[in-house]
Amino acid sequence: MIKIVIPSVWNQDGRTEFEGTEGPLPEVIKRFAADNPSLSRRLIAPDGSPLMYVNFCVGDEFIPRSQRATTTVVAGSTLTIISPMAGG
Amino acid sequence: MGEMIRIPGGVFLQGSPPWLLDWLDGQDQPLPRVWFGDETPQLRADLPAYFIDRYPVTVGEFSEFVSQTGYQTDADRRGFGLVYDSDGWTERAGVRWSAPGGPGTDTDGYRDHPVVHVSWDDASAYARWAGKRLPTETEWEFACRGAGFRIWPWGDEWDSRHANTAELHAGPLSTLTDWRSWWKSVCDRGGPLPQTTSVGQFSGAGDSVFGCADMAGNVYEWTATLSYLYDDAAPCDPTVRMAAGRYRVIRGGSWMNFRYQVRCSERMHGDPNGWSSFAHGFRCARDAELQTRELP
Repeated sequence: MIKIVIPSVWNQDGRTEFEGTEGPLPEVIKRFAADNPSLSRRLIAPDGSPLMYVNFCVGDEFIPRSQRATTTVVAGSTLTIISPMAGG
Repeated sequence: MGEMIRIPGGVFLQGSPPWLLDWLDGQDQPLPRVWFGDETPQLRADLPAYFIDRYPVTVGEFSEFVSQTGYQTDADRRGFGLVYDSDGWTERAGVRWSAPGGPGTDTDGYRDHPVVHVSWDDASAYARWAGKRLPTETEWEFACRGAGFRIWPWGDEWDSRHANTAELHAGPLSTLTDWRSWWKSVCDRGGPLPQTTSVGQFSGAGDSVFGCADMAGNVYEWTATLSYLYDDAAPCDPTVRMAAGRYRVIRGGSWMNFRYQVRCSERMHGDPNGWSSFAHGFRCARDAELQTRELP
């Protein structure tokens, strides 16, 4: 399992931590969105792929757009999802 | 180009006092307290004198920069830009500073509006060309409120006629559902176009203590400051914490926001890696010493 962290304003109850399943980053995001339909609009483009303007950190490592397709989130990792504009 | 105001410098407490977060908790607004945690605790700041643009950089000014240098923005190079349509943020082909809504849109009638669809690098490039730089967030906040704390540039009493926020267009708003309803009506009428206004439209009543205009709303403004937390121990949204050291601080809120996001001490953090949107602009600053040397 992995820990997935999202902005506190994405949920009405302010929940920020979820569990997810390890795997290739795009698949992790798609699965997380499918499991949490209320978050899908913030994560998935109309064509079903993860939105590219949303940023991801695995542990402390920021994953650039160009590396997302080849990034694997291993078990025990923390995946943090960061909006292109955070806070406010 | 770009009228500047000399800010005398001074000592002040940057950020929000504890009572401000209590006040936000008690207001009719939907965001949790932790969302504002990065504004606290207040930090003592000591600024030398500096100059800051009275207004955000306009479409006309940015057009002159592009005309003289052939500069291509990040959105120009990648071929798309970010707008918020009736379903949310979306990357749309052809969206750029001169076509803020995409193909078929232009900047006719917008030359005195703030330029949008500029990334942090685009804003920095313009500032260098103009012989200026981006302000630090400390300079930005001091120019907005001076040494004494105030919620908005003009004082502590909200007035929707003093700034370009969503409330100027839609009337009082307190829920995201109301906001989305307003925005859908805008998109249905003319598509997702920026609702910017002419710079200075709200001067004098809306000006800051030093006479800077449009510091509350109109466009989000990039600053030079690399995002950081005022105190690592302060309760804070976990994703804002991860933005520290990676993003750049954004100030001022925009036409998209409620009154609570356009406060003087409000902080946002933007991805500086080429990202921009139809609500993001900037203003410039300059060291006071440099300005003095350039005078005859």
